[in-house]
Amino acid sequence: MTKAASLSIRILKRFTARHHEFRLDVDFSVESGITVLFGPSGSGKTTILECIAGLLTPDAGRISVNGEVLFDSHSRVNLPANIRNLGYVFQTLALFPHLTVEENVGYGLARLTGNERNQRISAILESFHIAHLGQQRPDRISGGERQRVALARSLVTNPRALLLDEPLSALDYETKSKLIADLRTWTQDHRIAVIYVTHALDEVFALGDRVIALKDGRIAEKGTPAEILGKERENLIRELQQVGSR
Amino acid sequence: MNWQAIGLTAKLATLVSLILLIVGLPLAYWVAYSRWRLKFLVEAVVALPLVLPPTVLGFYVLVAIGSQSPVGRLYESWSGHSFAFSFQGLLLASVLYSLPFAVQPFAAAFSQIDRNLLNASATLGASRLHTFKRIIFPLSLSGIVTGIVLSFAHTVGEFGVVLMVGGNIPGVTRTISIDIYDRVQDLDYATANETALLLLIFSFVVLSGVYATNRQLWRGWLGR
Repeated sequence: MTKAASLSIRILKRFTARHHEFRLDVDFSVESGITVLFGPSGSGKTTILECIAGLLTPDAGRISVNGEVLFDSHSRVNLPANIRNLGYVFQTLALFPHLTVEENVGYGLARLTGNERNQRISAILESFHIAHLGQQRPDRISGGERQRVALARSLVTNPRALLLDEPLSALDYETKSKLIADLRTWTQDHRIAVIYVTHALDEVFALGDRVIALKDGRIAEKGTPAEILGKERENLIRELQQVGSR
Repeated sequence: MNWQAIGLTAKLATLVSLILLIVGLPLAYWVAYSRWRLKFLVEAVVALPLVLPPTVLGFYVLVAIGSQSPVGRLYESWSGHSFAFSFQGLLLASVLYSLPFAVQPFAAAFSQIDRNLLNASATLGASRLHTFKRIIFPLSLSGIVTGIVLSFAHTVGEFGVVLMVGGNIPGVTRTISIDIYDRVQDLDYATANETALLLLIFSFVVLSGVYATNRQLWRGWLGR
């Protein structure tokens, strides 16, 4: 079992496209367990993940994991993505199409020797129930299996935190539930901080220990799923009452 | 048939393809992924040989490597012979002339790769070089093969640049296309026809090979 993890995030980033300016301005921290970033499309969820992972550079702010600074605009620290050691599961999964499941999962273990590498790959394939798919290419397996491969690939390197960008959005309810259970087991065993981005309410309830609701690039609410959804419901009822009274 | 010219042309085209593989891959990588605002200027320079008359390109290369130029003088003092009208001079001119035929297919293949695959590779700890070797290169193989084969075939068929920079020295700079021209000038149509037919068949086989290879590669990865 590894030490409990924490991520501290302060990001300011501006985008300008066709006379429209989008400004992301967030400041929050997460502990081990699953934190759900919840919000509509365009609220800045993926941008936050990309900034944390080092795929985008914030205009200003500070990002640290377990006390180690990954980005700090003040002291001009900006570690490249490949040395941040953060797991990332993309919405499109981004499995390498020319590599087998085993090669995909072992991609991040290039520095290990053959034996140790194979052991790590076998163990994680077992944990995610995909050991029988080792020699298959991603295009030969189902959507749910691809999701498992992507999760296994991002976790096999023992990342310091896991960033998930709507990885389950395309799955049916049953497959989604099983995967969520596996993800929960893994994160409890390894005690890593997980940030899970979604705009689906069922995933907020099923996954989140904590929820951060985003709106237009800012944090609108923080709390447990019940608290956040309670407020969401209140807002909805208020809006409906306003419509009704017109 | 002038086997000496055929041998020389094959040697020139092979060396051009090899050099373009080494020089063209990093250049194409930069063209595909750089976010520099003035990148279009470099792209235009790379594409120039596509639209420039070969005599114009040949003329400027000749001026640049002639014995009056600093490059030409430096080369002459180092090697003891002239850069212009030598095989090495012809090689340089041919590399420049075929540059877009290699770089453009390479860059097009690199650009088609899903950006998230490169991001995924980075988040898994891979350096840019590792990502290039394990992801970009294999996924762009059809474009790379196309670029190499096209630059080989293009070099085999070049005429104006060879005449300007290489002259017509048997065994040194007389390539197949120059040989055909010489035969026609001598009214030796039979030999000219033999060599021309050889070039025609070669070009057809090469292009068929490129299209067939690309199909197989795509089928291998996407269909299988």
